[in-house]
Amino acid sequence: MSRMGSWKRSSARQDGLDGNDAEETPRPLSASLKDNLDTIREVLGGSDDIVIRPIRLSGGVAAAVVFTEGLASEQLVAEFILDRAMTDDADQETERTGNGAKEIVSELERHILAVGELEFVHVFKSLFHALLSGNTIVLLDGLDHAIAAGTKGWKDRGVTETNTESVIRGSREAFSETLRTNTALIRRRIKSPRLRLETRRIGRETQTDVSIMFMQGIANDKIVEEVRKRLDNIDIDGILESGYIEELIQDETFTPFPTVYNTERPDVIAAELLEGKVAILVDGTPFVLIVPAVFVSFLHAAEDYYHRADISTLIRLLRYVGIFIALYFPSLYVAITTFHQEMLPTQLLISLAAQREGIPFPAFIEAFMMEVAFEILKEAGLRMPRTIGPAVSIVGTLVIGQAAVEAGIVSAAMVIVVSTTAISSFVFPAYSMANAIRMLRFPLMGLAASFGLFGIILGSFAIVLHLTSLRTFGVPYLTPFAPMKLEDQKDAIFRLPHWMMTRRPSLMTGPNNKRQQPAKAAKPKPDK
Amino acid sequence: MRRVRTLGTLLLILALATATGCWNRRELNDLAIVTALGVDKAERGFHVSVQVVDPSEVAARSSGGSFSPVTTYDATGDTMAEAIRRMTTVTPRKLYFAHLRLFVIGEALAREGMGNSLDLLSRDQEGRTDFYIVVAKGHKAFDVLRILTPMERIPASKMHSSLQVSERAWAPTVSVQLDDLITEVVAKGIQPALTGITIKGDPNFGRELQNLRTPDTPTRLQYQGIAVFRSDKLIGWLNESESKGFSDITNRLNSTMVEIQCPEGGKLAVEVIRSKSKMEGSVKNGKPEVVVTMRSEANVADVECHMHITGRNSLEEIEKRAEETMRLNAEQAVAKAKKLGTDVFGFGEEIHRSSPKYWSRVQNEWDQIFKELTVSFQVDMKIRRIGTVGESFLDEMKE
Repeated sequence: MSRMGSWKRSSARQDGLDGNDAEETPRPLSASLKDNLDTIREVLGGSDDIVIRPIRLSGGVAAAVVFTEGLASEQLVAEFILDRAMTDDADQETERTGNGAKEIVSELERHILAVGELEFVHVFKSLFHALLSGNTIVLLDGLDHAIAAGTKGWKDRGVTETNTESVIRGSREAFSETLRTNTALIRRRIKSPRLRLETRRIGRETQTDVSIMFMQGIANDKIVEEVRKRLDNIDIDGILESGYIEELIQDETFTPFPTVYNTERPDVIAAELLEGKVAILVDGTPFVLIVPAVFVSFLHAAEDYYHRADISTLIRLLRYVGIFIALYFPSLYVAITTFHQEMLPTQLLISLAAQREGIPFPAFIEAFMMEVAFEILKEAGLRMPRTIGPAVSIVGTLVIGQAAVEAGIVSAAMVIVVSTTAISSFVFPAYSMANAIRMLRFPLMGLAASFGLFGIILGSFAIVLHLTSLRTFGVPYLTPFAPMKLEDQKDAIFRLPHWMMTRRPSLMTGPNNKRQQPAKAAKPKPDK
Repeated sequence: MRRVRTLGTLLLILALATATGCWNRRELNDLAIVTALGVDKAERGFHVSVQVVDPSEVAARSSGGSFSPVTTYDATGDTMAEAIRRMTTVTPRKLYFAHLRLFVIGEALAREGMGNSLDLLSRDQEGRTDFYIVVAKGHKAFDVLRILTPMERIPASKMHSSLQVSERAWAPTVSVQLDDLITEVVAKGIQPALTGITIKGDPNFGRELQNLRTPDTPTRLQYQGIAVFRSDKLIGWLNESESKGFSDITNRLNSTMVEIQCPEGGKLAVEVIRSKSKMEGSVKNGKPEVVVTMRSEANVADVECHMHITGRNSLEEIEKRAEETMRLNAEQAVAKAKKLGTDVFGFGEEIHRSSPKYWSRVQNEWDQIFKELTVSFQVDMKIRRIGTVGESFLDEMKE
């Protein structure tokens, strides 16, 4: 099954429509029940899971209840629609008000159908959307509109623990695949009325519900408007995951660095919303997007804010060291041992030279081979069944590495370099940034092998130039380093105590950026 | 279309990078790491020898043990550069001089003038200046390079650290690096002095691994004496006490043992722990004078006589006698230097600093005037501690 849908830009919208016209054009319902049911059956092609249950209401008015098995909660349909509409009480009620379809439907709406959401649909497009979203359609003979009753209920994974972003301290809840559950998780954390939610349907065939959430008055209106604009601009046949949205709205495609943050954790989303960012939730995936995302966002972990300030600062610094190692270690090793041997202390040089005796490959080929081998092991480890996965990956790394050294194919120092690099690339909290570093490591190795340290510097220049030119939703990517804002340094590399962080990051908020009371007052002190 | 063109050009440029072949690339196993360089007089030009490390023999883990840790190569040439290049006919790899530790000059060459051999090392881009220079005493430099040493597998490393340590802890050796040496060869107010290295035992036996198999290593390399030069020619040697004096005067003394006679016979050793010397030059009535002030602090280290050391005046007595010994060493050093006619101490530089006008008149005959120079010493020693024991137990020993 191909996941990559075909999509065309909005300018080509006029032609190439496939699918039933009945679905696309806003055709109104007919007054005849039989015609409506026939249309429904025809458009849906007689799919087995669409249940059409004819009933009779009082006065002999024919009606039908249509719902999708599996999407609509059978219990809700039975209790609140069928049961209610088919009792004697219901008959009595409708007898009183008269037997015209209009009166009946109004009675149904007001007294009989005891569901929480109830709407009228007039055209087939809305009818099908409601039906296929899990609602129940009640059609009456002689009425040219229908009732769509809210009966959504399907099997859902529930709120479980996240296994991609686990923490030692902090909530373990993660989003699930249902949009409404996710919005509820966020609402639980931010009970402010200023938290806004706007939903759209994106995807021609999938009609996926995509919601944006933001804090009115805190988020920069320009950014919110830009997000709305970009989402409305999407014209694609299917949105299956938030990654699709990410690629379709991100500023730059040809960059290894991610400009949109994604997470499974509601507490992270809540924190970002409070800083004025916009969250994009997509039905069908637990991964929620945050825009705009700058470089430092990918180096922050939720735990940084739950542990104390001093250890959080040190661990953040450690992450920066980790980036440096993950990006540069193999390149530096190759560059120094092939071009700049005078930089090594003599004893180290002799040790390394001893290890390289008899190795048939040049240092770069060695490094490249080992790096590729490690990447293969990493990827394989992801997909291995859980029972043999860990064992094979340990076997893979230790034994193969050791055996390769003993066979004289690679030198021991190279194995150390490559494994240190691999381990430090796991220090990133965000997988998307780790991928960027993984990709950049290889060209840097190539440059190091061709031009030595000079090549590494060239590569670094190119990377830095690229980073400084990146913008995400108008915000420069290297904020708060690149437009250097002293105020915002409180949360970039360091993590100052909460009572010191009195203002929100400036580039992303509107005018309201005071978070809390002034620092002096915030620090509790016992009475003298 | 424009996108494709820019991408294409970019790829072409990237492909070029691989096509040219990374021209400066040198793998670690293409290098012959030279740790020591020796130069001797040859009939025409120089006889150059190098000591090259065999990394697999020296490596931390699986050392071979049955082969020598170093290999020596030698060649002769009219110039240093020619000799080194001629060596490529015997070396399997290109010589790599960046990690040179020791440069040994044969005595015969030193007597004739060693200046010619220094230019190559200072001019070479790959060469650094952090190696020590010594003179081979009584042997050829080539022989010195071929002696194997116990414990430290690379003989050059051993000699390098040995020189550093003995300069700091014993004194009659000096560690001289290339830039200092060149400065001293050129300057008119100071002459070079280099430590001498000699072979104790049979040089031929020292070349074999057998040398390392017994605990007492029959053949060893040892530092002995200081070679004194006039410009770039070796003209004499200082013995051990003269060398100590030299170290002291030139402020190189860090720590050493000074031996004194006890009043009632026997010897006492005092450990100098800090020392600072200053020179002050002046010209009085057209005659130059230098006063050398030597200040040191010491601990009583070894009492091998019956002297009462905790008495009120005993420490003063010890101080006086130690000062006397140090003064004697220094005077001996100056006397020898005067006899040889070279100012290795830098008194000329000091006169230059204090009386520039006088210096500009006499600088060209300094070596002669130096012989008449009045050098006086002010030695001041303070004993700080006497160790962890009070009186020596020797007093209470049964006869």
